[in-house]
Amino acid sequence: MNYVKKLVFVILCTLLLAACAEKDNSNASNTGDKSTTDSGTASSKNELVIAVNENFISMDPHNTGDTNSSSVQETMLEGLLGFNADGQIIKVLADDYSISEDALVYTFKLKEGVTFHDGEQFNAEAVKVNIERIMNDESLRLYSRGFSLISDVEILGDYEIKVTLKEPYGPMITRFGVAKMISPKMIKENSADIPKKPVGTGPYKFVEWVQGDHLTIENFDGYWDGGERVAKITYKPVPENGSRVAMLKAGDAQVIYPVPAQNIDELSNSKDVEVNKVPSTIAHYVSLNTYKKPLDDIKVRQAFNYAVDKDAYLKVVNAGLGLPLDSIIPSKTVYYKQQKMYEHNIEKAKELLAEAGYPDGFDIEIWGNTNSDTMKGMQFIQQQLGQIGVKVEIKSMEEGTLSDEIYGAQTPDDAKLQMWYVSWSAYASDITNATKPLFHSVSFPPNGANTAYYHNTEADQLMDEANSISDVDRQAELYEKLQEIVYQDTPWIFLGVDEVVYGVRSNVSGVLVNPTGGLDVKNAKVE
Amino acid sequence: MWKYIARRTVEMIPILIVISILTFLFIHFIPGDPARLVAGKDATLEDVENVRHELGLDKPILKQYMDYMKNLVTGELGTSLTTGLPVIDMFKTRFMPSLHLTFLSMFWATLMGLVIGVLSAINKNKWPDYFGMVTAVSGISIPGFWLGLLLIQLFSVQLGLFPTGGLDGFSSYILPSLTLGAGIMSMIARFTRSSMLETLQADFIRTGRAKGLKEHSVIVTHALRNSLISVVTVAGLQFGFLLGGSVVVETVFSFPGMGRLLIDSIAFRDYPVIQSALLLFAFEFILVNLIVDVLYTVLNPKIQLNS
Repeated sequence: MNYVKKLVFVILCTLLLAACAEKDNSNASNTGDKSTTDSGTASSKNELVIAVNENFISMDPHNTGDTNSSSVQETMLEGLLGFNADGQIIKVLADDYSISEDALVYTFKLKEGVTFHDGEQFNAEAVKVNIERIMNDESLRLYSRGFSLISDVEILGDYEIKVTLKEPYGPMITRFGVAKMISPKMIKENSADIPKKPVGTGPYKFVEWVQGDHLTIENFDGYWDGGERVAKITYKPVPENGSRVAMLKAGDAQVIYPVPAQNIDELSNSKDVEVNKVPSTIAHYVSLNTYKKPLDDIKVRQAFNYAVDKDAYLKVVNAGLGLPLDSIIPSKTVYYKQQKMYEHNIEKAKELLAEAGYPDGFDIEIWGNTNSDTMKGMQFIQQQLGQIGVKVEIKSMEEGTLSDEIYGAQTPDDAKLQMWYVSWSAYASDITNATKPLFHSVSFPPNGANTAYYHNTEADQLMDEANSISDVDRQAELYEKLQEIVYQDTPWIFLGVDEVVYGVRSNVSGVLVNPTGGLDVKNAKVE
Repeated sequence: MWKYIARRTVEMIPILIVISILTFLFIHFIPGDPARLVAGKDATLEDVENVRHELGLDKPILKQYMDYMKNLVTGELGTSLTTGLPVIDMFKTRFMPSLHLTFLSMFWATLMGLVIGVLSAINKNKWPDYFGMVTAVSGISIPGFWLGLLLIQLFSVQLGLFPTGGLDGFSSYILPSLTLGAGIMSMIARFTRSSMLETLQADFIRTGRAKGLKEHSVIVTHALRNSLISVVTVAGLQFGFLLGGSVVVETVFSFPGMGRLLIDSIAFRDYPVIQSALLLFAFEFILVNLIVDVLYTVLNPKIQLNS
């Protein structure tokens, strides 16, 4: 029986190690100040659990590219400016601001009586420390754009500051909305901790972050704007759609975002849950390489747009959600102007193809990533264009490989890309980034995302002028003209604008999603 | 035996060096540019080149490899390209949950697998055998994500007995380990059954019965012990695989383990994380193989480890 005793010993060791799991978890925090991990079911009226679809990457507001991370940052940190529910610019820590006519000088009058979570005062000096951090710290690669154009930051008074740019930069005002203020004490003494546990002026302050499992914040009593909200919020990354929905149904989460399309009906019918939809700034399209045959002929591009049924696209690919893309930018973007859409007309499409010299159609490739929604979309396009004799071969590639293939082409002649099924999104207030990287001739890959290789001198001039002035009426004029010109040139198959869908338990109020897909819980309450 | 273990430990080093070179070359030569993936889709070429320089990716490949190995020797695994956090911190929070999940899954899967295998073998072609083998086939055939979601729906949503996911104490391990263990239990059950059937035909078993040994002694002390060699081999391999994390189960249960960490880092071409994770998995496998080899001698003293 000797070996049996040894086996039993091994089994007991295994059990012991497995049981250590419980002890380990109570000390599992790697970044928080506290060591408690009560992140379980929020049964009290003062707690909220929010399940999102992806992990958070960083809590540094000066170096973040993903919406999930910035949603959480926005509960704890505020900028001089911010965004309202429609994604338009509003004043937050700035009481007032002005931009010089040449769009080079930005002057801000700051709010008084605002304190950071660590007791530091918010004032012009604090703002200067923040701006200089973004300008000078080379590791902040994601937000140096714009701030790298600053030539001078001048303190005009305790609560007044002036920022001068070397050259005009249209999106700068959005940058001031996105760049949140961090405590100057933290920047000077403890900047390595900023990505893990930031200190800001927001209504919530950081509690703890267990990577991959949860992030907890709690109400900040000294918040300058007062107001009532839930006392504690725990965010959990739950990538599996079914699991997220299960959490909402079981009450393990009170908010989930996004709600997968196939579960919308089921959740809408449940009395404990509400499902809300918001138009986003995410535009879906197929870019058409206008530099090479056969897509260099506008008739071919127009034929494609007549052949693809945009309503069917929304029904089939987007589960009935979303709105048709009826300009070169989504409707929530500032200065948007609706254009006359291409109606679904197969005969007209065939006619145009024949006029262009392709009465029997031709073969062409469409590229996209391996996401199941992208596959669905590409198959839809393949089927639609098949009706006019165009045989589309689908080439789906993993994201990194796809990026290499597209941005590896150093010149338009090198480009093998013909059609790319893709989406683009920019802040609703940032029309520059919704247009220039896609339609300006300086933005050909590898320098930008103008994968249609669209080159129109007039369009370039309109964008250049709009980016160099601050007069909003003139900007509106220029951008409206730009939309008309580009839409008529048809460098894309214009598809749709996503609606973002989030689910909330019926006893929760004050939770919003803005058009960029950011979750706003500043006024969240649980009854 | 200790000399053997010491020798095998020393032999690990050249193997790990070769693996580190192969993985380094492999991840640097697959398509995909981490600088562009980190800089984002609206980055200009200048932005991308700045990022490349900042991340040290513009240095010659050999220099990058030597820097990595130099740091590795001092226990420094580098910094993640995506989060900017030290890789070792990321591993610490992910590795222990994966380890505990592996132990728990292997524990119940091995126990149940052995019991089902033995009962099936000694009741060959009777109903316990059929029942056991149907269970085994189901366990292998049912896809992990489907089983996981089913368990969540039943035990979390309907009955409220376990959390729907995450890591919240011991109860968070139950459903994931059931899901992970199902396939392993089935494999062990089948291996045990076929191995037992073969052993039960042996002469020494007939001799034991003839000598008047109690039946349970024949089965457990003699037959099972001699059948365990192949089972231990399979279990060892499975253990090694599980330590690398299980992406499917971790995704379904939002479990913060090594599997999802690796998949996410591959998508972003996060070289330091991928390199260190692959090296860790190689090390785990070599270690598990060593333990299995030593276990052979426990099970069958006739097997000698050559020293």
